[in-house]
Amino acid sequence: MAGSRRRAGRDPLNVGRVLPAVLIAILLGGCSGVQSVLDPAGRDAEVLARLFWWMLGGAVILWVLMNGLLVYVSRIDTRPLSARAAEWLIIGGGIVFPTVVLAGLLSFALSEMPEQRAPGSGLTVSVTGESWWWRVEYLPDGAETPVVSANEIRLPVGRRSEITLNAHRVIHSFWIPALGGKTDMIPGRETRMSLEPTRAGEFRGQCAEFCGESHALMALGAVVMDEDAFAAWLEKEAAPAVPPESDAARRGQAVFNAEGCGACHAVRGTAASGRVGPDLTHVGGRVSLAAGILPMTAEALMRWIRDPEAIKPGAMMPGYDHLSDDDLSALAAYLEGLT
Amino acid sequence: MLGPRESSLWHMISAPTIWALHFCVVYGWTASVCARGPDPAAARLGIGIATAVALLGIAVVGWRAWRQWDYLDDYDYEHDGPSVEDRREFLGHAGWLLAIVSAIGVIFVGMPALFIETCL
Ligand code: HEC
Ligand SMILES: [Cu+2]
Repeated sequence: MAGSRRRAGRDPLNVGRVLPAVLIAILLGGCSGVQSVLDPAGRDAEVLARLFWWMLGGAVILWVLMNGLLVYVSRIDTRPLSARAAEWLIIGGGIVFPTVVLAGLLSFALSEMPEQRAPGSGLTVSVTGESWWWRVEYLPDGAETPVVSANEIRLPVGRRSEITLNAHRVIHSFWIPALGGKTDMIPGRETRMSLEPTRAGEFRGQCAEFCGESHALMALGAVVMDEDAFAAWLEKEAAPAVPPESDAARRGQAVFNAEGCGACHAVRGTAASGRVGPDLTHVGGRVSLAAGILPMTAEALMRWIRDPEAIKPGAMMPGYDHLSDDDLSALAAYLEGLT
Repeated sequence: MLGPRESSLWHMISAPTIWALHFCVVYGWTASVCARGPDPAAARLGIGIATAVALLGIAVVGWRAWRQWDYLDDYDYEHDGPSVEDRREFLGHAGWLLAIVSAIGVIFVGMPALFIETCL
């Protein structure tokens, strides 16, 4: 009976042997990539990564010393210590040593903080946490009106940009691990940070403060560009939407208008001017869809519009499952063309 | 006010109480100075004064606890007998150790003042 039960329950994969390998793979997987603290691409992230390695090194040394001592006194030399030696061990090892080590680590960490908050030069990006997406506004030096975008933040490489943070209704936290530390976004209170990317490339941010059903699905594309490429991109982002070019796209725009998408979404240069949802003027030019959750493809756009709730529980956008596949693909063609 | 030294617990916990007050003062002061108009210099000065005052208070408390323990008198650090002397020495001994911890705590709480540059 017991034997047959064991045989029936036997796992063809042999979990006991596979699990450690899987865990190690997951752990190592965190060491590089677009959303890793350990693969820094910004001045502030470099500081934090260095801090982490120092702390890890220190922790490993302490762990080895402590356990070495434990083995030594319990296995190798088990004679009792004299009262005097024990006293010095307790005072030295239990009070003085940790106090000195902690004070050193604390001052090291604190001394790194002012730089994390150094003022930016030139560009200010204002990011507002919404449920469950990001409103992003660029304010280049001297500009009066912001360039409105969403769900993606682009920064020039090699210079420090100012990031001001706000939240609508609930608390969020802004965190792009490859670029810098995290800062809370609090309704009714503006917070700030600054970021100085050192390497061009595509990275990924993640909301780091629980904010509701789809908190875990509130990510953020982060693109670091060369200064010139950034300037060109920002100029394009500031411009109104390009008119639809293909027949499908033109039909898509008609569906967009007929379905009233413009009540929530703005497409600058058209009648659509809603501010409830993300600005879609250049949605097709983003690296991802729905706040870093889906790829920017026609297929994903159709899936999203048909049933946002299925992709992000609690999404503040109604589903359009009454639309025919034809209409949906026309909509997708229109939105994809909004580069 | 705090009762007789040899039996009242208050003397023993007055150092951690100073630590707790220092904590509240530092956080409250920094928050209000920064809310009124960002003034990191005023925040730093206030934290510095509060920390100096707290350390002074803890030093006094710690010194008196040390005297109460009077370790150098009889080198006694076991106080488990049911006698007035043991109770007095126990309270002094514990108060002395708590004063050390409180001083470290106050220094750690006050340390950011050395580095603070902005209110945000
Ligand atoms: C009630 C307001 C509302 C209406 C109406 C609405 N949306 Fe949305 N839309 C939202 C919100 C809110 C989001 C962000 C949801 C999220 O990411 O959690 C969103 C997200 C999107 C996105 C993803 C944007 C991005 O940056 O990745 C697209 C594309 C989109 N909507 C298209 C449409 C289309 C097409 C229609 C009409 C068929 C429509 N929406 C109607 C509120 C609305
Ligand atoms: Cu969030």
